[in-house]
Amino acid sequence: MTQRISKSKRFFMMNPVIQFFKFIWLSLRILVIVAGGHGGTRKTTTP
Amino acid sequence: MSKIVVLGAGIAGHVAAAHLRRKLSKEQEVVVVSPNSNYQWIPSNIWVGIGRMKSKEILFPLEPLYNKKGIGYKQAKVTTFYPEGDKETHKPFVSIEYVVGEQKGQKEKVTYDYLINATGPKLAFDMTEGLNPGTNKAYSVCTYSHAEHAWHALDDLIQQMKKGKKAKILIGTGHAKSTCQGAAFEYILNVEQELRRHKVRDKAEIVWIANEPKLGDFGMDGMLMSYGSNIMKSSEMVEMVFEDRGIKWIIGAGVNKIEDGIAYYENLEGEYLSETYDFAMLIPAFSGHGFRAFDKEEKDITDKLFKGFMIVDADYTPKPYEEWSVQDWPETYQNPSYKNIFAPGIAFAPPHAISKPRVSKNGTSISPSPPRTGMPSGITAKLVADNIIDIINGKKELHHKGSMGNMGAACIASAGYGMTKGSGISITTFPIVPDYKKYPDTQGRQLSKTFGEIGLAGHWLKMALHYAFLYKAKMKPFWWLIPE
Ligand SMILES: Cc1cc2nc3c(=O)[nH]c(=O)nc-3n(C[C@H](O)[C@H](O)[C@H](O)COP(=O)(O)OP(=O)(O)OC[C@H]3O[C@@H](n4cnc5c(N)ncnc54)[C@H](O)[C@@H]3O)c2cc1C
Repeated sequence: MTQRISKSKRFFMMNPVIQFFKFIWLSLRILVIVAGGHGGTRKTTTP
Repeated sequence: MSKIVVLGAGIAGHVAAAHLRRKLSKEQEVVVVSPNSNYQWIPSNIWVGIGRMKSKEILFPLEPLYNKKGIGYKQAKVTTFYPEGDKETHKPFVSIEYVVGEQKGQKEKVTYDYLINATGPKLAFDMTEGLNPGTNKAYSVCTYSHAEHAWHALDDLIQQMKKGKKAKILIGTGHAKSTCQGAAFEYILNVEQELRRHKVRDKAEIVWIANEPKLGDFGMDGMLMSYGSNIMKSSEMVEMVFEDRGIKWIIGAGVNKIEDGIAYYENLEGEYLSETYDFAMLIPAFSGHGFRAFDKEEKDITDKLFKGFMIVDADYTPKPYEEWSVQDWPETYQNPSYKNIFAPGIAFAPPHAISKPRVSKNGTSISPSPPRTGMPSGITAKLVADNIIDIINGKKELHHKGSMGNMGAACIASAGYGMTKGSGISITTFPIVPDYKKYPDTQGRQLSKTFGEIGLAGHWLKMALHYAFLYKAKMKPFWWLIPE
């Protein structure tokens, strides 16, 4: 096992208070990507 | 009056049926044909496979819901497609075979005006010699019953480790062309955390084995993503997590044979090697179901409908990796020969892989097949339903489009279970299929929408999605407000 995540980073990752705000932020960010929609990639030729 | 037949009641089929039923008047008939009696929220199988959730928490029976909502339901499997009808039946139909009850084994012709093939993949364990869930100490988490079985075996091993046994656990892909690396990735991290919880982590060697050329490829050619204030490759992120958790890895490995506690594989260097284990969870290859199709003269037209999976509006012209483009990917999931047939979710034949194809020195193709995760499966199913509704309402063109080259996906990979000890790796990508022309400097993806985050919030998010998507699937009040 090689420690690749520092103690402070781990504290940040697992602290419930900090992570509560992260949860809200993540939910919103993901919602924006989902709501950002989707579409085609090909140019449609208009008659 | 139109009749829409939906084949399959997984994520894609169920989403399509639910939207069709909600938006169409009762004169239009919606019928689901699927061999499974229960709807299962597959992503949570990971937690069933570590004993932290019971199967009943991730599934519900379909028949009562469909009866209540006015959706026809036949617990049967489709076997053959007749898109022009046959000599006796002049309407298009599919031939189905019932799988339970008194009708078991009975065949029936189910006619349709519109057909949605959402039969997903066949879990092709048979493509790897000796790989069969529950035999040779190798398991799967692809269905809830597989996951339950895996947990019993893992639990047994944990008890032995508590008595001092040293064990080796192998998790990853069980075939050179497997996909769904993400599910195996979640499982390995969850197993690792559970071993720590049971205080036997020091007794176990945990090894990742995958057909990916690099860690973090996920069948998506890897990703460049923003991570905090850094820009990181997905390979670096996975390497960081694996090293931190003491997980070893073997990559570029095409597993080709399983014996009791031994996985044989070939690597990209062309070496034939093997790895022993006490418990393995290996994702099989996914293949088409081997359906056949006939025209009205009963001539075989399987190749008009299928290319393994179902042919849709993709560009299937064979071309080298360097010439692949997002335009190759389908937009409407409509079969070009029979315009009333659609195939969303995993059921459609992709034009090619997403990851760069790689071949071993012996000429064996070892690289991931393209994944189609839950979110694109739901989105493509909804757009197919919306297009069918438009056609029924008289529109001539298909207005709803969703190419995986112009669609984002969020993948919340569980990295451990627990309200305070859990963790999740939240990754979003836009687009799913990299667009190297549009985003040449960021490996085909838009960095502001392609990011990774690790932490407890990821676990809460995955839990929230579990409850939200089951609520949605049960079609409870305002279910349609929850996006796919
Ligand atoms: C363990 C695991 C974890 C996963 N985790 C995630 C995750 O966290 N996030 C994510 O986005 N995706 C995840 N996925 C991927 C996701 O589950 C799939 O993308 C999704 O299930 C695909 O939906 P589908 O409807 O196309 O196929 P399926 O869900 O496989 O549904 C296919 C349906 O067709 C039915 N069927 C099969 N044969 C026939 C037949 N002959 N006739 C009629 N019906 C038939 C089946 O019974 C089933 O109802 C995971 C997958 C696995 C295996």
